[in-house]
Amino acid sequence: MTLSARRLRLAALLTGLLGGAALAADHPEAAAGRGADALAHDIFKQLIEINTTDSVGNITTAAQALAQRFLAAGFPAADVLVAGPEERKKNLVVRLRGSGRQRPVLLIGHLDVVEARGEDWSTDPFKLIEKDGYFYGRGTLDMKSGDAIMAAALLRLKQEGYGGTRDLILALTADEESGCCNGVEWLTRNHRDLIDAEFVLNHDGLVGYSITSEHGVPQEFALSAAEKMYADYQLAVTNRGGHSSLPRPDNAIYQLAQGLLRLGQYSFAFELNEVTRAYFERMAGARSGQVAADMRAITRSPADAQAIARLSLEPELNSLMRTTCVATRLDGGHANNALPQRAQAVVNCRILPGHSKEEVRKELVQVLNDPQIAVRYVTEHGALTDIAPEQRSLPPSPLLPQVLGPLEKTVTALWPGLPVVPFMNAGATDGIFTRAAGLPTYGVAGIAVERGDVRAHGRDERVRVSSFYRGNEFFYRYLKSITAPEVP
Amino acid sequence: VRISTRAGAAARLLTAACCAACAASAAAADASSASNALARDMLAQLTAINTTDSVRGNVTTAAEAMAQRLRTAGFPAEDIHVLGPSERKKNLVARLRGTGAHQPVFLIGHLDVVEARREDWSTDPFQLVEKDGELYGRGTLDMKGPDAIMLASLIRLRQEGFRPTRDIILALTADEEGGSANGVEWLVQHHRELIDAQFVLSGDDYSVLVVNGKPLYFKLVASEKVYADFQLQVTNKGGHSSVPVAENAIYTLTRGLDRLAAYEFPFELNAVTREYYRRLAQIESGQRAADMRAILGNPPDRQALERLSADPVERSITHTTCVATRLDAGHANNALPQRAQAVVNCRILPGHSPEEVRQQLVQVLADPAIAVRYQGSDGTLTDHAPAVRGFAPPPLLPEMLAPLDQLVAATWPGLKVIPGMSAGASDATHTIAAGLPTYTFSPLSVDPSDDREHGRDERISVASFYQANEFFYRYLRTLTAR
Repeated sequence: MTLSARRLRLAALLTGLLGGAALAADHPEAAAGRGADALAHDIFKQLIEINTTDSVGNITTAAQALAQRFLAAGFPAADVLVAGPEERKKNLVVRLRGSGRQRPVLLIGHLDVVEARGEDWSTDPFKLIEKDGYFYGRGTLDMKSGDAIMAAALLRLKQEGYGGTRDLILALTADEESGCCNGVEWLTRNHRDLIDAEFVLNHDGLVGYSITSEHGVPQEFALSAAEKMYADYQLAVTNRGGHSSLPRPDNAIYQLAQGLLRLGQYSFAFELNEVTRAYFERMAGARSGQVAADMRAITRSPADAQAIARLSLEPELNSLMRTTCVATRLDGGHANNALPQRAQAVVNCRILPGHSKEEVRKELVQVLNDPQIAVRYVTEHGALTDIAPEQRSLPPSPLLPQVLGPLEKTVTALWPGLPVVPFMNAGATDGIFTRAAGLPTYGVAGIAVERGDVRAHGRDERVRVSSFYRGNEFFYRYLKSITAPEVP
Repeated sequence: VRISTRAGAAARLLTAACCAACAASAAAADASSASNALARDMLAQLTAINTTDSVRGNVTTAAEAMAQRLRTAGFPAEDIHVLGPSERKKNLVARLRGTGAHQPVFLIGHLDVVEARREDWSTDPFQLVEKDGELYGRGTLDMKGPDAIMLASLIRLRQEGFRPTRDIILALTADEEGGSANGVEWLVQHHRELIDAQFVLSGDDYSVLVVNGKPLYFKLVASEKVYADFQLQVTNKGGHSSVPVAENAIYTLTRGLDRLAAYEFPFELNAVTREYYRRLAQIESGQRAADMRAILGNPPDRQALERLSADPVERSITHTTCVATRLDAGHANNALPQRAQAVVNCRILPGHSPEEVRQQLVQVLADPAIAVRYQGSDGTLTDHAPAVRGFAPPPLLPEMLAPLDQLVAATWPGLKVIPGMSAGASDATHTIAAGLPTYTFSPLSVDPSDDREHGRDERISVASFYQANEFFYRYLRTLTAR
């Protein structure tokens, strides 16, 4: 371990040990901070206990409950809007007015959660339960914690008599996880005026968090500034079939298997963009030895092929360097004693910015290298088309100094030594809609999650109590920083 | 109209010629046509009794009806049994007593039929309908036609006062096509004394293969491959599909399947398949005939074997085969698969056990991550397969084969009996497992390209039905005259 890395870890460890107490002693706003924590907790609890699933839940109830809080806190009614295309799926849009010297910032978070069945959970998923230092409940990570933190920050700033340079717009929305009427998409199409901003902060981060910890020690703060594009393809082989007592060389299952073998061995081309290049440059400073050297070697031009090969062995890094396509489902045959008339696979791809779904489909055809394996695009509704859309994966949002500068300052104040690394999400968030609307979008959340313990969408979803409060403080400070009257 | 008149005249002429040529007694001809009429009447009765596995079907009703036919024909009550483990699925077992000079011969036929829906058929599947020289109805071919022929032959022998040199036992049984009360298996296990015999004749396959209107050869099934399903399974901890990892259940499985596709089980002949190639070589010509002779050599000619094995039929006769028939993997498009599985269907040469084949599959797949389990007929999975080896068939019994050769040559001049091995499974599975050599044939003529077993508008030709009835009677008589 290098000296700098050791110092960094020690600093992080100390911060972790001292926790909120150190902060409370250091800052004059400590009392306000404690009040803000209680407020965030109240909102958090209220949101968790309103079921906002697609099946039986109601987003409008949650949006209205929060609207009530903003009105009670003195927000003018004209700046608190509950609107949406469906009774059960209304969105909340709130504006905290600033001096107008700079353009607004839009904060987005989704109110809906994925389904949770009580019998699968150790606790009631629709109750906020505090146990062993964690908050449990559906949405504690993805992302009612973030919704509560953003709402609490706006209420706190308002209470303090907000004098920031920009309007802060908060949109808490429907149907990010699934459902008919995605709120962000609806707002960008129907109420662009309400949400127009210089840039967007999405508290969804990676999935409701931005800090990855190991053994409780924060390792890096990921600033999500790009997203890969999601696409499913179906591979299908048909055959005349026959009786299984007389096997023939032509067999739909074997033919598909041979194609999948070629796909399994194939790697899409290595490619960096502004965000992933910055990721590797910065991570090289945080890592050591061969990995650090390799990270530097792939950011040079030309990139070092052997360094790429070594780093590609790490799945997380591999997914940052290239489009990935992986077989996720198989289906074939209709009876044990009949030769298969059909064999098919689903291949799920995550496409790098700048490339289209049809481009990837054509590349799959080449890789499979068998005209009898039909490669069709699967739409989000499950329909099949021979050709995929020409739609291209959106380019990364530029690493704006007015976003990155205050972020580094705030992160360093709360987690000394923690590196901020620009990041590209392999999954998809509502950021695709704001980015498509031309708004630079950044996933930012001050919540930390232990590597390998991401329970978003799963059972017993949870967030650390201390991390929730730290994340609350972080977001408030970050908003203050990006709207501060004098640029430091 | 003129044509039909001419045809009728020709038919009468032929009949007359036949009678003159036979020069036998008019009584023989009368007996023959009486037997044909009886066989047809019984076939009509059986067709009208629904014996499907569904709630409407009742095999016991058919067994009782045929028992009544035997009683009427004078069989003593103690030689007729209707019995079985299920009320709706009783079997008929009857015995024509002989001199006891030899051990009995045991005839088997199943009474149950596969389902048939009236709306799919041109005629009512549960009525015997004659149309354009064909008899239509569910089971006419599989196998109420052969059942009626076996019964009619037994009754004719009885009415002639014929004393066979061995007892002839006939069992008409339940649940060959499906269901849980298989009659032959039940009889073998619970009433061995009723059915014990030197060998078994099953009527569950037509024998005269007609191609382009001409009989090609007479098929005698003398051995069966053993059916076994195996499940290959790979499990994985899965994960989010946005970050693919090196270990992927689907890729692990497909690598295994690729090795399986390239693998061939060893070449092996037995007494029956040797005889099959020896006789078939006399019918075939050119390279194929030469290759058939060459693989009979010691050592067998490798190149000849390769050429022959390119034909899926010959390959299946000379090898155990295993083929992937089903695939299933993954649970969501956007999740790495936690499980990938395939079904591999094997047809095992007699003399080898399913467990032996399972172990061979494990070796071929060559990956401990691929679990290979045996899948029973009810779908249950076990880590090991049955270790019981199917009996390798004994050499063809001359006392069974010689009269058949002779009678086939007399009925269809130039036609050869070709003994073979079936890759499918029938009730012979149970008698073979009980150590009884079993031979399957029914002298019906069918064009394999128009084989309607299990399908719609199942049928047999009237002429072939009568010819087969006469043939089977003569065969039984010759077989038991020595």
